[in-house]
Amino acid sequence: MIRFLATRSLGALVTLLVKSFVIFALIGLMPGDPLDMLTQANPDATPEDVAKLRAIYGVDQPIGARWWTWLIQALQGDFGYSRAQHRPVLEIILPALGNTLILMGLAFVISTIIAVFLGTIAATRRGRAIDRVINLIAYTGISVPSFWLALVMIYVFAVRLGWLPAGGMPQTGEGLHGWLVRLTLPLLTLVMVEIGGLTRYARSSMLEVLGQDYIRTARAKGISTPRLLFRHALRNAMIPVATIIALGFGHLFSGALLIENIFAWRGMGRLILEAIMGNDYNLALVCLLFTTAMILVANILADLAYSWLDPRISLGGRRR
Amino acid sequence: MSALIASDGVSVRFASGGGLFRSRRFVRAVSDISLTLSAGETLALVGESGSGKTSFARALLGLAPISAGAVRYRGQDVAAMSRAARQAMRREVQVVFQDPFGSLDPRLAVSDIIAEPLRIHGIGDRASRVARIAALLDMVGLPRDAASRYPHQFSGGQRQRIAIARALAPEPRVIIADEPLSALDVSIQSQILNLFVELRERTGIALFLISHDLAAVHHLADRVAALYLGRIVELGPRDAIYERPAHPYTQALLGSAPRIGQGKRIPGQALTGEIPSPLAPPPGCHFHPRCKLASELCRVEAPRLAEVAPDHLAACHHPLRDHA
Amino acid sequence: MSDLLDRPVSIWALRRRRLADDPAALLGLGMLVTLLALCYAAPVFEAWLDVSATETDLLSRFDPPDATHWLGRDDAGRDVFTRLLLGGQTSLSIGLLGALGASLVGTLIGAVAGYARGRTDMVLMRITDGIISLPTLPLLIILAALDLTKLGFTQDFIRSGAAGYWRIVVIVTLLGWTGVARLVRASTLALAEREFVLAARAQGASAWWILRVHILPNAISPVIVATTLAMGRVILAESALSFLGVGIQPPQTSWGSMLTNAQDLISTAPELAIYPGGLILVAVIAVNFFGDGLQAAFDPKSK
Repeated sequence: MIRFLATRSLGALVTLLVKSFVIFALIGLMPGDPLDMLTQANPDATPEDVAKLRAIYGVDQPIGARWWTWLIQALQGDFGYSRAQHRPVLEIILPALGNTLILMGLAFVISTIIAVFLGTIAATRRGRAIDRVINLIAYTGISVPSFWLALVMIYVFAVRLGWLPAGGMPQTGEGLHGWLVRLTLPLLTLVMVEIGGLTRYARSSMLEVLGQDYIRTARAKGISTPRLLFRHALRNAMIPVATIIALGFGHLFSGALLIENIFAWRGMGRLILEAIMGNDYNLALVCLLFTTAMILVANILADLAYSWLDPRISLGGRRR
Repeated sequence: MSALIASDGVSVRFASGGGLFRSRRFVRAVSDISLTLSAGETLALVGESGSGKTSFARALLGLAPISAGAVRYRGQDVAAMSRAARQAMRREVQVVFQDPFGSLDPRLAVSDIIAEPLRIHGIGDRASRVARIAALLDMVGLPRDAASRYPHQFSGGQRQRIAIARALAPEPRVIIADEPLSALDVSIQSQILNLFVELRERTGIALFLISHDLAAVHHLADRVAALYLGRIVELGPRDAIYERPAHPYTQALLGSAPRIGQGKRIPGQALTGEIPSPLAPPPGCHFHPRCKLASELCRVEAPRLAEVAPDHLAACHHPLRDHA
Repeated sequence: MSDLLDRPVSIWALRRRRLADDPAALLGLGMLVTLLALCYAAPVFEAWLDVSATETDLLSRFDPPDATHWLGRDDAGRDVFTRLLLGGQTSLSIGLLGALGASLVGTLIGAVAGYARGRTDMVLMRITDGIISLPTLPLLIILAALDLTKLGFTQDFIRSGAAGYWRIVVIVTLLGWTGVARLVRASTLALAEREFVLAARAQGASAWWILRVHILPNAISPVIVATTLAMGRVILAESALSFLGVGIQPPQTSWGSMLTNAQDLISTAPELAIYPGGLILVAVIAVNFFGDGLQAAFDPKSK
């Protein structure tokens, strides 16, 4: 297990490094001159800082060298300054990261539970009305543009009914109640979008498991249906679902990005968009790297969960 | 008769396992096989599953890399051939596989399947191909309208006929048949067997038959070679092998084969145990753990093929003597 | 030969039959075709109703629906109905082209990786996995916001509508080929071991021949399904990009770009926010219905 974690973490680090180069190069292609923007960013910039920045972003240097300089700095903890906010990038990112994790984490947990639940119901009552309804819900979930759904939700709940605010972060002093109120709409929207795909996979996976011989044997032995589902079927059915979830972190994040922007939720998604649109290089670069790192970590966790669910799989990577 | 195809000390090996941290191990599928097939003759290669027969067939066809030795076609080393020469050879050496369901592309109509060798080698034009396909279907005993149908509409035996028609299309000199009967129903097997006999008579083709079915081999073969764990243990004319086997393995194979309608039973040991894994072959003579005649020498030194009678070779330290 | 069927039945005929029996798939196809027809008939509607989807008329902003302006006018006085149709042309065509492009690239890469194996395969798969694990939307946004002059394109070209349009098709292709590549690679790996491929190799057939004649036709079914379903995702991606302001730029229009300032209008003119998104939903549902129907037709066991 330790060995597995070590190899995967190493692999993830290497991947991250490679991606940092790619993203670095891409951001370099963005409009504007990075140098001037960065010297304006830091109010205390000294001539030495300017020289440092020139070393990183000076366009007369080859991109490899520029990236290397940036990397050295980054590894020492200096991720640079945000040009728009005139603050160190790390200072801006960390709280945003927390906000995104709250939103994404809750959405992940809730949508997984609901999807498994719905998928199981649909599978056990295959072909009946409830199955068709669930299928339709799932279809809509995967077909709906998330930002549009968000707008609809805002219109219904904030504009017409006035029950919930149209977005924004909880203010200081609003306490837990403030969080819950502000979180509801974005969370609801994100969950509605995510459960579509998950429900379909859960359903088809459960169908496959339910068709297996050992389930029929258990039924013949007289095991009641709830018990049957929980003890025998669920675990096995969730294995392919776990894989899908793992692959879907990127998707979840993309969904979160749009939702955060519409609901003015100050998370990584909103930050990235602001950074890119505002040509705020450092911020965009570091944001993306953090996001990628987040996804990589989530994938590793998913693999761990995968092996926990399926005892046949050894973490050494040998699969049957 | 000069040899059409000759394998000269051919060995084929696979890499097994191995990754970033483990060294690769090599499995010897076949070791040092020297066989010749002359024009018009039928040579059979018998052995249990796992003996390396298919690997050898693939090596002959150029589908598996050879780790030692050489395959010669009409005297020329295949590996040293020019591209054009190799293409010409491929035209003349055709193959029929074991699985009638897997050896035909399900998406192609039968006419396309049979015509493929003609297309690849650029033989004839459209009209002549159509004629040839019709002629081939006749030859293998299928109706002419089979040409527009698809493989899934045929039974196993019929598909094998299609495969044979495909092999005959470019007018080859040699057909390598890798267990052509094993996947067929018993009643169909004899039909296809007879088809082979008939085709051989008509075209004078050389046949390299790989099979574990000793009755079929007896029916078709001129010469027989017995393969055990990748090594030839016996080689000789059919009658000599069947009536006076010199190697204990061959004798055991014959002894354990069901005999229908043939009176003679060869006394001797029955075959016990299982064929060892090619990953860990026994030292010395590979057969010694299952051989009742095994001696200390057998455990240590691998015997070489030596003549025990004219044209009859066996690799054994204690070859069986003649018995009536 | 009593076991021969009466007529030659190709696999495609079987599939067509299955598809024809699937109401959801037919519905999806019907919806899609109808949408396409309506959208590309926008000029016809414009002429017939004597309205304009592009000309602004600031005196008539937010006018309610009437006899010729079936859905009223938008925030710049343009006719909403025909503008929706016009935007649909862009959204749907980008969806189709993006999906096709991604499939083409993916098929090529997957086939090469699966057939060549070894190091080529490993390199290609690492690249594939690398792209898959990147967060797509941020990357799409960056690619859409790139300054193309730094790549050597002229300013005039960049500002042209065609550039904006094709840029989206290109970036969607760049990030979207991975799914199809994996599918094709898996199929190719399996097919390359089949005996009919071995038979062709024994004939000395070139790799191209084998790929073209044996492997790709056998591998194409999942690709067709994937392409259809990809179309839905491309439509969603383009609309997200246009919504954020980095996709289709004015004066060109797409359903997504019609939603750009929808958030501001949500209280005053909510219909302007509802319609374009609703059409996206309908289009993507249609595509998904049809794609699923295709999948069931190709592989009935997967239902």
